Amino acid sequence: MLRSLDVILLVFLLVTAVGVVRTKDLLGASIIFSAYSFTMAIVWQQLSAPDLALTEAAVGAGVTTVLFLITISRTVRREDE
Amino acid sequence: MKKGLVVFALFLLWILLVYTVIVLPPMGSPENPTNTHIIPRYLEKGVEEGGAHNLVTGIILNYRGFDTMGEVTVIFVALTCVLAVLGRENILRHTSKAEVSSVEKSVIVKCVVRFLAPFIILFAFYIILHGAESPGGGFQGGAILGASVIIITLTFGFALVAKKLSLKYRVLFESAGPLSFFIAGMVAIFCGQNFLTYLLPCVAHTYQDFVRHLLLIMVEIGIGVGGGAAISSIFLAMEKVEKE
Repeated sequence: MLRSLDVILLVFLLVTAVGVVRTKDLLGASIIFSAYSFTMAIVWQQLSAPDLALTEAAVGAGVTTVLFLITISRTVRREDE
Repeated sequence: MKKGLVVFALFLLWILLVYTVIVLPPMGSPENPTNTHIIPRYLEKGVEEGGAHNLVTGIILNYRGFDTMGEVTVIFVALTCVLAVLGRENILRHTSKAEVSSVEKSVIVKCVVRFLAPFIILFAFYIILHGAESPGGGFQGGAILGASVIIITLTFGFALVAKKLSLKYRVLFESAGPLSFFIAGMVAIFCGQNFLTYLLPCVAHTYQDFVRHLLLIMVEIGIGVGGGAAISSIFLAMEKVEKE
């Protein structure tokens, strides 16, 4: 049971990691990156590293996503010109 | 001529690097010094020598205290760089970008944030103070503290946060991380020990454990408050827009 959860998490991790790189839209990419961080937090917990899981959830999924979103909202898109 | 010299220098560097890789112990081998000396030492004596029931906190504050001090300094330097490029926010001249945007904030968001924000801040302080006993510690709690400031700013606007968390105090909080390490290190030096030694022989034997715990908690609070203030200051510097 737990083994299958690990497999699902790792597959999802791979899918989101490829998705971040392949997505052209920066807003979408940063949201996928947030999903990646959340999955990574659960993987850390599965590897019995709760300290890292807390850091990943707070910094990776929370703070960096907000900073990315602010940066995107303050810059203009080059493709639209 | 010059080009050939550069290529020759790079070739020498390459040989040096390859040689270093060759003489490294094989990766993942059980005979490596990390596996024969360091890990057993941490597992056997980590709790006793580190002074924290949470082994991770004991290691990062004790065995790797200099490393953690460097990390805290890196966060502080990052904050300094952001402020040098973007500048501090000024409550008279600036307002938040979320406030001037045309999207109206829903009542649900406001209610939920008003209800949850105190609990998030309480949880952050719990994680900071309980870092020696359970998973968590200064860095994690600091990030949650910064995140709470971020959600309050996004929902209730700039003026409230800038007033409650005025610049006068925030400047002190931002430097709390390196400062707490400095104070803990200097206490050890005044006792005739090495920098960042927590077990002080100049304290009476019965109180040694207590003083060590006190120093660890002080460093944790410094890291947490410093990290939280740094995150919120970076956020406020990025979020500000000129008032029209």
